[in-house]
Formats: sequence, structure tokens, C-alpha cells
Amino acid sequence: MNKDLKFVRNIGISAHIDSGKTTLTERILFYTQRIHAIHEVRGKDGVGATMDSMELERERGITIQSAATYCSWKDIDINIIDTPGHVDFTVEVERALRVLDGAILVLCSVGGVQSQSITVDRQMTRYNVPRIAFINKCDRTGANPERVVRQLREKLNLNAVMLQIPIGLESDLEGVVDLVTMKAVYFEGEQGRDIRYDEIPAALLDQAKAKREEMLDAVSMFSDELMEAMLEEGDIPEALIREAIRKGTLSLKLAPVMVGSAYKNKGIQLLLDGVEKYLPCPTDVENIALDIDNNEAEIKVSNNTADPLVALAFKLEDGRYGQLTYVRTYQGEVKKGEFITNTRTGKKVKVGRLVRMHANEMEEIEEAGSGDIIALFGVECASGDTFCGGNINWSMTSMHIPAPVISLAIKPKDNKAQDNISKALNRFCKEDPTFKSFVDHETGETIISGMGELHLDVYIERMKREYKAEVEVGAPRVAYRETITQRAEFDYTHKKQTGGSGQFGRVGGYLEPLEEGVYEFVDDIVGGSIPREFISSCDKGFSASMDKGLLTGAPITGVRCVINDGGYHTVDSSDMAFQQAAKGAFKEGYRKASPIIMEPIMKVAVEGPSEFQGAIMGSLNQRRGVIVGTSEEGAYTVVEAELPLGEMFGYSTILRSLTQGKAEFSMEFSAYKQVPKGVAEQLIKEYEASKKN
Amino acid sequence: MGYEPLVKQNPLRVLKLTGNDKKMGLIMARAGLGKTALLVQIALDTILRGNRVLHISIGENLDKTKLWYDDMLQAILQECPVAKPHELIDMVRQHRMIMTFKEAAFDRSRLEERLNDLIQQNIFTPDCVVIDGFDFTATDHAKLEDIKNLMESLRLQTWFSATSHRDDTRVSPTGVPAPCHEFDDLFEIVVLLKSYQDHIELEILRDSGKKAEGSSHLRLDPATMLVRQED
Repeated sequence: MNKDLKFVRNIGISAHIDSGKTTLTERILFYTQRIHAIHEVRGKDGVGATMDSMELERERGITIQSAATYCSWKDIDINIIDTPGHVDFTVEVERALRVLDGAILVLCSVGGVQSQSITVDRQMTRYNVPRIAFINKCDRTGANPERVVRQLREKLNLNAVMLQIPIGLESDLEGVVDLVTMKAVYFEGEQGRDIRYDEIPAALLDQAKAKREEMLDAVSMFSDELMEAMLEEGDIPEALIREAIRKGTLSLKLAPVMVGSAYKNKGIQLLLDGVEKYLPCPTDVENIALDIDNNEAEIKVSNNTADPLVALAFKLEDGRYGQLTYVRTYQGEVKKGEFITNTRTGKKVKVGRLVRMHANEMEEIEEAGSGDIIALFGVECASGDTFCGGNINWSMTSMHIPAPVISLAIKPKDNKAQDNISKALNRFCKEDPTFKSFVDHETGETIISGMGELHLDVYIERMKREYKAEVEVGAPRVAYRETITQRAEFDYTHKKQTGGSGQFGRVGGYLEPLEEGVYEFVDDIVGGSIPREFISSCDKGFSASMDKGLLTGAPITGVRCVINDGGYHTVDSSDMAFQQAAKGAFKEGYRKASPIIMEPIMKVAVEGPSEFQGAIMGSLNQRRGVIVGTSEEGAYTVVEAELPLGEMFGYSTILRSLTQGKAEFSMEFSAYKQVPKGVAEQLIKEYEASKKN
Repeated sequence: MGYEPLVKQNPLRVLKLTGNDKKMGLIMARAGLGKTALLVQIALDTILRGNRVLHISIGENLDKTKLWYDDMLQAILQECPVAKPHELIDMVRQHRMIMTFKEAAFDRSRLEERLNDLIQQNIFTPDCVVIDGFDFTATDHAKLEDIKNLMESLRLQTWFSATSHRDDTRVSPTGVPAPCHEFDDLFEIVVLLKSYQDHIELEILRDSGKKAEGSSHLRLDPATMLVRQED
């Protein structure tokens, strides 16, 4: 590993599903000589692409877990995180983006900026990730890179500037014109390995000149020197242009656009040059840690190898040889055999094996410097933990983790499966913070919850394949919530005299809606009507009541519990008695506080040919959807709507049949909102019935 | 609805929006003076009166159009707070639909197809349609009249916006500037936003299909883009 951070790039490859990013990664690994043969995603050779290491990923042709890999291009060491394209797996994308310095946003030259590209771009903006756009699949029928550039500007508000134009399109794609060098570039020989530079074809010269002007105009905004050179109308040094592009890209004010076709082996080497020239090295990016010992004051990490280690565990995998922890180092060094401290637990752990990951193969290394992405073996930690060396106690900024919105009940098919399910769930929960599991004590069912149907589907498949655990799966259930809508008083006395010492506690006060947050307890007791030692008992009792609403048994959110009165008995009052009194008081107040049921509302975007717009809108409307709007661009339409998650189960099948398979949709959680009266009554009825059984 | 005070306080009542059902209105101004802001306020006023609005944005994207509504609604709520702003925001969301088109993708037949999609499937039945960004330089009287007939047959009040240009001095006899000077008879009401040194004034050029007399006494507040009555 090269020690100079100038020669390191930590990049991600993100895009909409089916834009060809796994194929692109495969080509990158091939040209950087990390692999010696190209396997297609759905290839006939049955090998699958290198980055799709999980069996399931290979079968479905989608990337589920982002595998980290490492390669070298010219003088540069590149760590690549391949990220999933489906919206259900966005936590993977977000975690990858958190540790990356730059990214390639892959776009399909036919599909253009699709819904997932918008989600991914929003995530990149959130984490300030400079990006290069790569318009892939220029060999496909209907390829239109110019349209994609327009969409980058209009839909993503990116200052997208083409650095290349294609030579031919669709089946005539021959190569690209590099607008910086003003040379035609062809990719010849076996698998496009040999690059031939030539004069720009006469037919393209005018277009190339015009596009170069456009590019220089945009890029010169970032370099006074370049602007002066342009005004002098002499030859403009290539280095000056590249420097300006790099400056614009790093400031997130410019998105250079490159074109090609990964499948046809065209344009990939130039994209790698682009990664080298325009994407940041670790020292170009400012990363902030929180100093735990100093009231979480923000501190800029130094990137200096000589400083104490700061590293973030951003991904875990349970493998055959124990837990594999993917780590990004921000400063200092991590060495085999050294002790490092997990700042969350305060525990010191010894670094056993240190490896550099290449999909599911690994390479043992002795040490890793600042800015590197590596994996540790046998280090016990959770995803998002920070490791420090020396005497510092820092934590990298916490990651944005969305709450699960859908759950499923699973039941083992046999006894053997029972043990394996526990092991599997343990591992999945540790690896993926958006995946949760728990046992419903009333029904005895194991409940898993996550970000969408496909998300849970994948874990059920993994249980089957990796843990040999066959499970019966219940119907998907929406994660409802309950809350209150008005203030209500309570005054409850818990009294029990059943021989021996009795129980006595009286709690008075009120509940009121809490605008932000889940639960708040306020102690307004004056004059000692409840002794101090029992105040926390009241808090415990109220807090426990929040777990299960009285309408449907769903968790309660947004309640402030205020106590301002009470009573006690010198002998019979106890911690338990006041916990019970608080539970009774909560019940009393809750019924009077006009409780409501809330459901997750999803932001849904359906894309498809304009001819199906009416059908798409109709299908959304039937599902209690509010159509926010439609965007129509030529033959293509995007319908945006907000729908209850409960109405979206099975929608993909319906959409396929409505649109001859030509439309697709993505959805993400938007907010919790009150369910309509009719639905609420039905849910309450179902809950009552389930309690009786 | 419970938002009567907001409707009553709205200076836009001068435009007599409730009395113009099935008619077409036009907002004209030079670029950047606040045509979209005014259209959105007309749409919001219509919504607050319990009606539904289809906002057609030509050449603009969905997010930007949504943002106009969010911003204008926030400005209105800051001036006239209501007890439950979330309910009002929800109500606006449910009574408004936005359709965006690329310039080349919008024409009368596409409009009719989309309106039929919405109305016949009972997806969204608008009472008012605002069309922002329509290119009047690329249309003629017959085409526009055709759109007017369509909207009248569907009993829809329609508001357009049009950009006038400093260097084009043509005007209709009723004072409607180019590029709409030849279409003024198709509009029941035409409002021109005029920029003065420290304010923007709403001048009513046509009212009830005739040349308007006198001043509207309305201004656009340059800070919030809200319509205000002159003191």
C-alpha cells in the first residue's frame, strides 16, 4: 500500500438497479489486473460477477451487500465499495457513502436519472461526496447521453458537464472523444485492453468543438488562470483544465460526466483516469470526529499516520472464521497484534488478523495507514463503532439510520431450524442496523422487521441458504404506532392487600401530546406527595406502558407524562407498587386522551412509459394514495405519490401486469400519519379478536 | 373547512376569483417579477375555499413547483397563523396535484388526455387549473381558443402565466402586451405585474372580459412575494 495519501482514492459506485454498476466494477477490477477474467452478472458461465459474492446476489443478478475491494490504477491505490441499487438496501449505500471520499454515479444512457439515482444522489449530497457521473450502456438501443446530462441538471440540480462525447451510439458505439485532450479514443484488442488515440472523426469535429467550449465555460468558473488562458485565445494547457475540473468537483459545484459502455469494454480506462484526476484523496476531505471526553466537541481528524488511530467500523460480516469488520481509518495506523480501544464500550481489543478485502477473497496485510479501507478479523464490535489508539476517546459522527417500517412473523419448520434461526438473526441484526428481530411474548412468534418486502425476503432466503433454517413466513405486517391527540388527566390509586405486606401508590397528573420525541417524563411533584425514591418507579411504569398501545398493541409514541400529585403509605408503598400505579394511571389517562393509530406513509415514485400514466395513477389512487405530481418527459413519465405502506404489499406484481412489465417503482419511508377511521376500526377489531384467541 | 379567515384576509379577493368559474385568467410580467408566486397564491386561495387545483408546470421540475407551494404556505402561515398548521399543510397536499411537462411534451391533446385520466378514473377532479410556463410565442388564436373550449367544457377555471419582454412593445387595444396581445379576447381577466423602484404592482388590464378601469391597489411584497393591499 502506498503511504502517500495523495495516491489513495476511496470511492463508491452507486446507481439505480440495473444501471450496470456491478458490470462496471467487474471491468474496473479487470483493467486494474485484480481479476484475470470477466464474468457477467447473469453470465452463461455461471460464475457471476466478482463483487456479487453472495450466492443469492448471483442468482438474482442484484448486489445486496456492498463488498469492499481494492485495486491499483497507474500510481493510485483505489478502494472500491460496490453498493446495492435497490432502495430497500439504502442503509448499505448510506454506510458506504459515510466512509467514502468520492463516488461514481452510474447512469443508464437509456433509463437516465431514475428514482433510485435521485435517492442515491440525495444521500451523496448529505455526506458531501464529490462525484463523477458515468453514463453507461451507450451501446443500448435508445441510448441518449445528452438527455441524461439534461436530467442530471434538472432532476438532480447538478452542474453536469460532459468531458467526453461518444463516437457513435447504440450498436455503432466505437469509442469516445475526450474533450480535454481533443482526441478520439478507441478501445481495441482483447476485451478493449488496448487504447488507441486518434484524430477526432471529421463528422464529429464541430460537435466536439462546441461541447469543449461548453465544458471550458463551465470549468473556467473554478480557475482564474484557466479563464485568463481562454481570454488569450492561445493553446490551453491540459493540466490547467484538469485542475479546474478537479477543483469544481471537490467543491461539489461541478459533476464531470463521462460516457461509455462497461459491457462493451468502452470508456472504463478513461473513467479510472477520471477517478485519479478528479476525485478526492483522503486529505482533500474534511472528516469530523466527536471528542467524547470533551462534551462531544467536534474535532477535525488529521489524516496523519503519525497521530493516534481513529477508525470507523462501517460494516460487519459473520464469516466462517468469526466476525469480519470492515474499517475505514481516518488517522494513525492499525497494526497486527496492536491493541485498539472501542470508544463505545471502552474495551481494548487486540488486532488479530488484518486483511484487505477483494470481494470474498482476502489478502493478509501487516498494517494499514490512514485513509485506508481494510477488514479486521475476530474483533467484537457493532456496526458504527469507532476504534481509537493512544489516549484519545473520539467517536466518528453517528450515521443516519432509518427506522424499520415493515415486519413479518417467522416460525421454524423444525427444531433444528430453531437454533439456526437464532444464530442467523443474531448475525443479521449486528450487520444491518435497519434489520431488527424480537420475540412477541404473547404469541410466541419471532418477528423480523426491516425497510421493505424485498429487504426481509433477502434475509429469509439467507436463513435458508446460509443457515439451513427453513421458516414459515406470515403475511407482512405494517409497523403501526399509536399516539394521543389531547391532554388528559389521571388520578389512579393502586391498592392491594392480599396477606403479607400490601401494595399502595397513588399517582396524579396528566398526559399530553409531545410534538417531537417518543416519550418524556416530567416530575412536577411538590411537597413530597410521592417520596423521591419512588419518582423513578413512576417513570419506569409510564415508560413500560409505552411499549403497547391499548388500541392495537402497537408501540406508543409522542407522549409527555407529567405527575403533579400522589399519595403513599409508609409501609405498603414500594417501587413495584408505584410502577403499577403509574401503569394504571397511564391507562386511565390514555383512554381519555383521544388516542389514534398511525401508519407509515411511503414516498413512492413510479416510472414508466407515458402511455401508462393513467393506469399507474389509477393503481395508486386505489391504494389510498395521494398523487403528489407527475413529470412527463417525452415518452417517459414519473408519478410521485404518498401511500400507506400497508397498501403497497404486492404492488410490484400489479404494476408489472398493468404496464406489461415496462414500469418500475421505488419507495422510501416518509412519515407516520393517522390511519382513516374505517381502517382504524378494522385494526382495533382485529386486535380485540386476536386477544380473545 | 375552517380557513375562512385566511380567505377573507386574502387581498386577492379583489380579483373576484369565485366569480370567474369556467373562465380563463392571465398573469403577465417580465421575467423574475413573481408570476409563479402569484399563480401559487391564486391556487392556494382556491384550495382554502375547499376546491381542488391542478398545477401544470411547463419546463419546470416537480420539486421546484412543490417548493413554491411550501414557501408560499409558510409565508401565509407566518402572517396568519392557524391552530393546526399540519392539518392545513395536509389539506393543501390533498387538494393539489402537480403535473410537469417538458416544453415539447405539452399540447392540447396531451392536456385533454391527462385531464380525462384524472377525472374519469375519479383520481383527482380539479376545479381550477393553473398553467405556468405556457409558450404563447409558439401558439395561435385558434389553438388557444381550442384549449379555452376544452376547459370550459370541463367547467374548469384556468389561469395562465406569460412572460412579456421589454423590447417587444406591441400591445392590444386593451393594453395587453405581447406575446398575448392577439389573444386578449380569450381571457376574462388579465393582470400585469409592473415593477417600480421599490415595489411590484398588480395592474388589472382586463376584467369581466373588458378593459379595466382604475387601479387594483394590490402589490407584491418583494420580500415574501405575498400580495398586499396598498395602504
